[in-house]
Amino acid sequence: MMRYRVHIKSWQRTLVDSDVFSLASNEITVLFGESGIGKTLIAQAIFGLLDPDELHIRLNGQDYKRYLRSQEVRDLQRNGFFVFQEPSTHLNPLLSIGEQLNEGSLARATNERPILEALWQQSFERQIAPLLKVYPKPFRPSGGEKQRFLLAMAFKKLSLRNAGMPGLFVFDEPTGSLDNRYRNIFLRELMQAYAQNPFTCLLITHDYSMISVFERYHSAMLPHVHFKELRRKRGGKVEMIDFEPRAYTDWLSKQRATSGKFSAENTVLKVESPFRVFGKEFFFAGENGSKHHTLQVRGGQLVYLKAPSGLGKTTLAKIIAGLQKAERIRFELAGIPLNEQSNQKIWRRHIWGKRLAMVFQHADEALNLQARVRDVFKGLPGGEATDPQKIQQGLKDFFERSVNERFLNQKVAYLSGGQKQRLNLLRAFLLQPQLLILDEPLNGLDFESLRKVIEMIQRKRAAGSGVLLISHNEEIFDHIIPPKDRYRLHTTT
Amino acid sequence: MNGKKKENHSSGRTSAVRRHEMRSSLSRILRDLIRRAEKLEAYKAQIWLGLWAGGLLFVWLWDFLFLNAPERAMLQIAFGNSMFIASVVAIWTMVLGWLLAFALEFWEVREKTFLKTVGQFALNLIRSLPQIVGVLLGYVWITYLMDQGRLAGSVSAMLWMAFFLSLFILPEVVDMLRERIRHFRQSDFYNAMRVLGIAEWRIINDDILWKNSRIHLLNKTIAVFASAIFLQCSVDFIISVGLSTRVSALNLPTTLGSLLANIDSKQDILAIGYSLTHPWYFPNLFFVHLQGISVAFVIIFTLFALFKMTNALAERFHL
Repeated sequence: MMRYRVHIKSWQRTLVDSDVFSLASNEITVLFGESGIGKTLIAQAIFGLLDPDELHIRLNGQDYKRYLRSQEVRDLQRNGFFVFQEPSTHLNPLLSIGEQLNEGSLARATNERPILEALWQQSFERQIAPLLKVYPKPFRPSGGEKQRFLLAMAFKKLSLRNAGMPGLFVFDEPTGSLDNRYRNIFLRELMQAYAQNPFTCLLITHDYSMISVFERYHSAMLPHVHFKELRRKRGGKVEMIDFEPRAYTDWLSKQRATSGKFSAENTVLKVESPFRVFGKEFFFAGENGSKHHTLQVRGGQLVYLKAPSGLGKTTLAKIIAGLQKAERIRFELAGIPLNEQSNQKIWRRHIWGKRLAMVFQHADEALNLQARVRDVFKGLPGGEATDPQKIQQGLKDFFERSVNERFLNQKVAYLSGGQKQRLNLLRAFLLQPQLLILDEPLNGLDFESLRKVIEMIQRKRAAGSGVLLISHNEEIFDHIIPPKDRYRLHTTT
Repeated sequence: MNGKKKENHSSGRTSAVRRHEMRSSLSRILRDLIRRAEKLEAYKAQIWLGLWAGGLLFVWLWDFLFLNAPERAMLQIAFGNSMFIASVVAIWTMVLGWLLAFALEFWEVREKTFLKTVGQFALNLIRSLPQIVGVLLGYVWITYLMDQGRLAGSVSAMLWMAFFLSLFILPEVVDMLRERIRHFRQSDFYNAMRVLGIAEWRIINDDILWKNSRIHLLNKTIAVFASAIFLQCSVDFIISVGLSTRVSALNLPTTLGSLLANIDSKQDILAIGYSLTHPWYFPNLFFVHLQGISVAFVIIFTLFALFKMTNALAERFHL
């Protein structure tokens, strides 16, 4: 067992203070926890990736500079690998993907092609080989492809490892840019590699549906998989506790797909198929595969829009919200006909905050981090949204605690990722729009918050708002939303 | 013999232990000092503010002891006037800059092309003139007003001086604020707020400029204050030296720049050069040539301290 006490402080405040963080040697630890709680920071500290001159760090009571010089951290790095959560930051834009796949010790692993083919499930010559010559740019290869290249590097490193060697493989949100199919392929490859030669693995994720994948396809390996959760204690310390996978599976099995009550005449959004953006034609398909549907959301209806990562779900949401232009599109929003030539004035005067509200996917970017919690609600239109009592009630519902002055005066930047996401949602939930667009509403939430948010979405629907949902969490939303209310976004090119 | 050996051995060990203890306590003290120095790093701007105040106080005390009363009074007036003008410039520039930056961005968002073009044109017109030339032209206007007898009192003259100085420092403030607004307009939080129906004026003024650019504003205010002193000293020095007595700086309020151009101060400054070739004359600088030396020191030390403050803020907040 590898045990750590980690204390990380910036010049301003404590970032992480954890007395117990343990990883079972040669086992797989799956770590959940709301974003911003310190999962990545602890993993980076253990792997020796933090800058001791930027932060004040103590690891197991010793100075971090000394830890960085120790044999322990050298072994972890030499025989391990760290897959970063944001693939773009991991890849060097001045080296081609192929060169990076064979950089340093990775050049000794000659099994590149089978690994890539396994992760892509496509022809090496036609689909993968051309990408190896590409110098990574923000837009090419796609996020999902970059992520798979990083995973391929990790698997190459794994193949070089001799049994019994100390080392650590950290996969930080390794499936954040992958759809469910590729996520499952990654987990299959990971478990195969583990079965051949066990290694110490830390898998950091927010994706609770991984539990179902492990239970469904890798049950034989479950004794070697430890589900843990990082949780904040009173006083600000974080602790690593066991996460009971049944808590999730039992909750999920209790969810029922209901359409709710809505009137067929009360259409709040109707987007015609196909539409054209960035030179690509897009169309909607039903869950059963039937093509060229019109995406339709009615008041009181919850509609789920699915698509592989990077295809354009968020772009469509922004087009509907009047923040981006399409080359060709026709849609109707709460009785207002709109197209690619419509002026933004229409949204400003008649739509934003009145007929439509949208919740952006990254709370960190969607909220003003320098504002205090109470400031987040300032300037919202409509009487109810700015009513202090209503805000207090909303905060109590979302945060399940007495909302005191200290909390209201806290800077948003100092809230945890999950708290930020709940605040991000609450701001829109206080409004009474006819259409509510939720882009990845479960991003960065721990299980408790996730359940609460699902409950709030249901309540919003019951109150009569039409809700258009965009999310990677297919397992959860497939349980809640009936097939006829689910759409898939496709592109013809 | 063995006993002696043992004694020697044990005393050797004791001294080794002592040396080790001394070394470790020394390294502890060093580490502690480094840690304290690191903590002080965060307060560099405040330290420089303190040093500036301390330096000025020291000069005042020295002058109180060794400079004659009339010259000291003139120095105090010049310092007071310069600081007053620079403070007014800092306030006006920041207020005008904020208003103009907001107006230009707001007109852009609202697609008010005519208003935006006019505003942009006026700003570019100011920008097209070199600062010092612009301020000199402003002084022409002030002397004209004085000549016409329309400008009574030194306060109104100083306010006019501050107006022209702030007018020609304005573009850099507007550019900085617009850059901040544009940066945040690209971000999700601007759009996320708009989509919820929050008014643009509130997002720009409250969320972007006030909540997210306060440190930038503070830093720029200090820089503007420094620019105002520098420009004012340069222009006052130039006109005090170069203009005829008909339109002379004597009519304008005394500032550090005009005091530096004063014949006594010039001789004091020349004395610095003299002391380089005649080192034994050096101590006289601090007793005999105090007026010019004090003025030069106050100007240079003020600009240096302000520069250090802005740098410290920029480093600390990664501006």
